[in-house]
Amino acid sequence: MDLKNGIFHGKPVWWITMILLLAALIVSLLWAVTIGSVDIQMSDVYRVLLYKTFGIGDGARYGSGSMSDIVWFVRLPRLVLAIGVGTALAISGAVMQAVVKNPLADPYTLGLSSGASLGATLAILLGVGSFLGSGYVGIVAFLGAFLVSLAVVALANVGGRATSVKLILAGTALSSICGAVSNFVLYVLNSSTGAVEAVARWTLGSLAGAKWETNLWMLLVALTGTLFLWTQHRTLNLMLLGDDNAITLGTDLHRWRILYLLVSALMVGFAVYTAGIIGFVGLIIPHVVRMLFGTDHKKLLPISALLGAIFLLWADVLCRVLLPGKELPIGVLTSLVGAPVFIYLMARKRYGFGGGD
Amino acid sequence: MQIQAKDIQVVLNANRILKGVSMEAGDRELVGVIGPNGSGKSTLLKCIYRILKPIGGAVWLDGKQLQDHTTKESARKLAVVAQHNYYNFDFSVQDVVLMGRAPHKRTLDRDNAEDFRIVAEALETVGMAAFANRSFSTLSGGEQQRVILARALAQQTPCLILDEPTNHLDVKFQLQLMDLVRGLDRTVLTAVHDLNIAAMYCDRLYALKDGEIVGQGTPRELLMPSFIQQVYEVDADVLTLPGGAPHIVFHPNVGKESAT
Repeated sequence: MDLKNGIFHGKPVWWITMILLLAALIVSLLWAVTIGSVDIQMSDVYRVLLYKTFGIGDGARYGSGSMSDIVWFVRLPRLVLAIGVGTALAISGAVMQAVVKNPLADPYTLGLSSGASLGATLAILLGVGSFLGSGYVGIVAFLGAFLVSLAVVALANVGGRATSVKLILAGTALSSICGAVSNFVLYVLNSSTGAVEAVARWTLGSLAGAKWETNLWMLLVALTGTLFLWTQHRTLNLMLLGDDNAITLGTDLHRWRILYLLVSALMVGFAVYTAGIIGFVGLIIPHVVRMLFGTDHKKLLPISALLGAIFLLWADVLCRVLLPGKELPIGVLTSLVGAPVFIYLMARKRYGFGGGD
Repeated sequence: MQIQAKDIQVVLNANRILKGVSMEAGDRELVGVIGPNGSGKSTLLKCIYRILKPIGGAVWLDGKQLQDHTTKESARKLAVVAQHNYYNFDFSVQDVVLMGRAPHKRTLDRDNAEDFRIVAEALETVGMAAFANRSFSTLSGGEQQRVILARALAQQTPCLILDEPTNHLDVKFQLQLMDLVRGLDRTVLTAVHDLNIAAMYCDRLYALKDGEIVGQGTPRELLMPSFIQQVYEVDADVLTLPGGAPHIVFHPNVGKESAT
């Protein structure tokens, strides 16, 4: 018997898929950077990139000026941010599904995004946590996400073990509370200067605020978080079997669960800080990957990371070009795609929504 | 491998489930724990495989106290097949069995050819080799338990604990599983519901009632009609099968009432 057979269960397939996805990501990046509302020749775009990254070419023409600025300070940072945020959301979704043992979990449905948004709002408008240094907004956003994740798990465990229904309800309730408080703060402190737009930016998500400094933080957090969690693939697999099974297989899940929630919250915190609330990415991407490659986290995590990056990159491009002269908030688009996926998952009996664990 | 449990006491929700239970299983012995529902069979086993922590007493594996083992160490000594395995997520059969290798792995170790060989061998042993790439959740209850047994075999432990894995399953599967287990040449500790299965397969039996050991010995010594009446509160005759194993025939209640 050859165990390595099977359409998508053999090792070579997922390695090849990863290489292909990595190539697709690079091609996407180089392609998407040529797309935008300002008409710039493709060859000029690449000359700017070439000059900026390697110092090759005509510095006077491609090193500064409006064309150079659009490519280097508007388009590229935005795409790079999409990659970081897409990776962070997809990975934290996959990991949270393992931590709460439920395929419906995601940073959005469990309220982490709202918690992060509240943290970021408080940090930006009230200066909460400014003593933490330059990246303090991201750190406070992370704390918000982490506290909400702990609260959701605790709330869902009140009066018996957590079920899907209780988790989602707890997430929705806490999400509403966090959203209300942060919107309240925004209106009270920002009433003259476009509070509505500010609220919209946070709650609907946008990559328009991408800057290189925050991008580097986002990429760093997304990459280290992903690599760390990838090394944890065995424990993540055991989590899906539950505590009792895991102990007989040599792992006490308790402290790992908290650690993984912490890392997820860190990634979600930075994603929300840099791009606002973008829902359902963490739900769609891991689910699609599971359908194709199975539940094993050794394959699930890296493929989800790459697919999440590609997905968000193109979602952002679509948001920019879909409405002429206007930009669709990216959270609107991901919810339009993601909510039906959520409903589909909910309706599938095999996932035992609200049932046994 | 030897297992010893001494004076195990468990209290759950203010109920004393186990009131100082001591037992032991010798090397390569197949030991059964019998007793009516709620007698504490499963609780006793759960203390041995570390799901429950007794408030009194201790467990020793080969003379070393259980709590001095890391979770990984004890998972390299004891493998468990328990009652119910329901997963919200869909693993392939091979993924499930491969998890049996987890206690032998450090964080950055990869699954190597040896692991895949052990997995294939375990699936072969339980007769599920052809199902390696099937999805676990599409299997029948009996097939799923065979896969879980394969996972326990892949753990390559000297001892196997069966926590009523055959509950709700066909008698055919119960016999299959016990045949398989008896052929393994490992220390086996099993909770048994069906007295005839206990009589056919176990070297030695412990009988639990209301959280206490009320009898122990070989099936021949232990399974007397008076003893069955005392523990299970039913009347029975004990016949002897051609091989020498006792066979229990229960008397229906109706007959008893008309006789008196």
